[in-house]
Amino acid sequence: MKTKETIMAKTITKKAKEHLTKLRKLISKRKHPLSDMTEEEVIEALRKTREEIWDKKLVTHS
Amino acid sequence: MLLILDSNEYIFGFGAFKKPACEMLLDIISDAFPIHSIRIPRLIAEEVGRHLTPEEFREFIGFITNLTTIDEDFVVPFELGVQYELKGLKPADAFIAAYVEWTGADALVTENRHFLTKHSNLPFKIINAKDCLSLIKSTSR
Repeated sequence: MKTKETIMAKTITKKAKEHLTKLRKLISKRKHPLSDMTEEEVIEALRKTREEIWDKKLVTHS
Repeated sequence: MLLILDSNEYIFGFGAFKKPACEMLLDIISDAFPIHSIRIPRLIAEEVGRHLTPEEFREFIGFITNLTTIDEDFVVPFELGVQYELKGLKPADAFIAAYVEWTGADALVTENRHFLTKHSNLPFKIINAKDCLSLIKSTSR
């Protein structure tokens, strides 16, 4: 017999998968700006994003 | 196993840049919930969001919030971040390292092989998606 926790976990998994599938579908429909980059370039772009957001947070909270 | 996924894992795992190991990792984490769980700080959620359209971002938030809650950045003790800054990390990377330690996560999963590679004696592992998949496989036996 399935426990309440198992049923809840299955529901969560199902919902998460639905969002993941839809997200991947949306991304596959457009030419993503990162898709033409090399892996290292993508990582570098994400690193820059991190620093920009962090700097903005520091300015906002200082 | 509790994991913190860096922003590159999400971007690669969503298919914005093809990397099968990262895609497989997101599939396994969502399939195996709650055996393997994730946590995410606001900073990483915002980083991912910067590279998604509003519609994609809505799905990302739906995906994440089904599996975990987004931790606000201010919950991480400031002193913990300073410790990593003193070790030579840039402030934002120091925050991520502090967040991983604060959550007590088993590993930070990232494709950025430069992240913390110069630092030893950390209270968590730093692994890429491929190694994380191997680790998950070995712990499932």
